[in-house]
Amino acid sequence: MSNNYKNFYYPPGGILMWIIIFLELITFGMAIIAMIYYSKSEPALFHQSRLMLNTIYGTINTLFLITSGYFMAESVHHFKVGNIQKSKWLLQLTMLGGLLFLGLKSIEYYEKLEGGLTISFNTFFSFYWLLTLFHVIHVIVGMVILGVLYYNLKKKAQNINNEDFEASAAFWHMCDLIWLLLFPVIYLIF
Amino acid sequence: MISNLKVLIILIILTIISALVAFNSFIMNYISEIIIVLAVLKFYGVVFYFMELRKAHSFWKLSILLFIFLFGIITINIL
Repeated sequence: MSNNYKNFYYPPGGILMWIIIFLELITFGMAIIAMIYYSKSEPALFHQSRLMLNTIYGTINTLFLITSGYFMAESVHHFKVGNIQKSKWLLQLTMLGGLLFLGLKSIEYYEKLEGGLTISFNTFFSFYWLLTLFHVIHVIVGMVILGVLYYNLKKKAQNINNEDFEASAAFWHMCDLIWLLLFPVIYLIF
Repeated sequence: MISNLKVLIILIILTIISALVAFNSFIMNYISEIIIVLAVLKFYGVVFYFMELRKAHSFWKLSILLFIFLFGIITINIL
């Protein structure tokens, strides 16, 4: 089945998914801009707090999500051309990327909590916890969506159409997009 | 057409450059701006290639470009 992406109502992933993506990006975008705005009144505190984060963790997590996004894009491609086995395998790799992200994020959170760097520690960490936890929730929801997609692909692949597959993929890529905005602001610029 | 694998390699390189730039002091004045521009480029790569938005109606392409342009400009101006 070929998709008419040039039609206004059928962007890859569907119009409803893209409305959600825009709403999420605007929400996170405004929160990130608010964080930068607050940093102007406490630049030293934001700088010192940023140095308490592990930039290596943030960079590795970015690589996990980007690579996972690549596997997702390839999985969609192979599903469309009817190569279900390869699509399933790539979907597994996509989920592995998500699991690795969540695993490393858990280690990072554990270290912060052990060090007493909780949400009430200061303004920077209030933003850090709110933004990254909200993002983690999206990743967990994305993992559930991909898990259901994988289950259906394994059991009854013929019941899945391109739009369903693309919508699930678009949600996963959205997690990637949000992280690409969060990572530089939280881990690098202050 | 650029393949997804090439896009992935570019994204990985840009991510590593971002992290390295953050540690470099010789271009201290422009570090934040460079990091934001690199983030905008990575965003573009994911949205137009992995998400295939380059194939969509112009409305969607222009909307996402407007979003990331505004985000970049506002962020750099506040910094």
